[in-house]
Amino acid sequence: MTERTITHPASQPSGPANLADILERVLDKGIVIAGDIKIDLLDIELLTIRLRLFVSSVETAKKAGIDWWETDPALSTRAHRDAVDEENQRLRERVAELEAGHEDRDDTAESRNHRWHHVKEARRP
Amino acid sequence: MKHTDSGSAAAPESGQADATYVFAVCGRGCDPAALAGLSGQAAGTPVRLLPFGSLEAVVQDVPARAFGEETLRERLSDRAELEQCARAHHAVIAAAADTAPTLPLPLATLYRGDERARAALRADEGRFLAVLERIADRVEWGIKVYAGRRRPSTPAPPHQASRPRTPGGRESRAVGSASRPGHAYLERVRGARDEREQRQEAGLAAADAVDRALRKVAVAGRRLRSHDPALNPEHGVQLLNAAYLVDQERAAELMGAIEQLRRSPEHRGIELEVTGPWVPYSFVEGGDPVAGR
Repeated sequence: MTERTITHPASQPSGPANLADILERVLDKGIVIAGDIKIDLLDIELLTIRLRLFVSSVETAKKAGIDWWETDPALSTRAHRDAVDEENQRLRERVAELEAGHEDRDDTAESRNHRWHHVKEARRP
Repeated sequence: MKHTDSGSAAAPESGQADATYVFAVCGRGCDPAALAGLSGQAAGTPVRLLPFGSLEAVVQDVPARAFGEETLRERLSDRAELEQCARAHHAVIAAAADTAPTLPLPLATLYRGDERARAALRADEGRFLAVLERIADRVEWGIKVYAGRRRPSTPAPPHQASRPRTPGGRESRAVGSASRPGHAYLERVRGARDEREQRQEAGLAAADAVDRALRKVAVAGRRLRSHDPALNPEHGVQLLNAAYLVDQERAAELMGAIEQLRRSPEHRGIELEVTGPWVPYSFVEGGDPVAGR
């Protein structure tokens, strides 16, 4: 199964538009596992990595002009509104899911606190 | 060995270990041959299947050193590396999905080893099964609606551009525009702006109509964020960026609906772009009435 643009052969398959399609899916979509795994080298748990990764990728994308987060404000406001509402709803659900996942797990309270401690740290620039 | 979050220089001796990178979760029956030859996220180690419970994960051993948090951040701050990682991730998922129902995981889902991965995956098996059932025999199509490229009537510059502007021009609007070229210019600007606004309104309404029409064929629809027009200069502003989950057997019906929208005279001002079929990235999480939470 591969992505292909059916109607606009003019847009190059490896061009930036296509990369944006891929990035918005592989960075922002997919099924999130409420895992508790840290990378050995740095004592950071998965969620933290993903958060930071996401931010840095977005920044990278912006620098490269792949900026689906912002568009011309004159028109984008309305075009975006529904998407952003949906997005917020989904993020709320995801947070609830992750929190529920953490509670369900057989982790000790200490390790939970430990992880969230890191998440908070990660958000502080 | 304990390393702190900030400012720790990478300790070379701890970088030896492999991490398990998880690309996706598949129902049993994913063909390992489909994964052979994919380079994935690391050269030299195979993309393989890791069974857990009644399912399998598509995984790869990657050097932990290259996937440490700081290193990853650095690598992915490089546009070429970001693109390579994203495409490699997507390529593995697409290959797996060719042979079995596949749930994509986001980029960089990493575990310290197979056992850690297996434990985390097994804990979510029920959720995976529910979502797999929901996406079985369904694919995602991406639809974008662009404002057409009709050029706005750009107002001609005033004849006497050097004439100093006077404030409070509002009350002098009644003055005949023939004698006041500056005002004629402003009126043309205003007219162009009104026209543009009308076109935008019409474009957004058309995008909504497209969305409504396609949701009738789709099992589910989701609006994604619009891409910056600078990304795709040959198109106009993106009025809709949406993804639809569609039964595989209804693909022709979807294409028919799209053709009909394209031909419809009331949508003459917009352009539709279709991408897909995609693995249902946008439909494996959230808004899911089936998956028990």
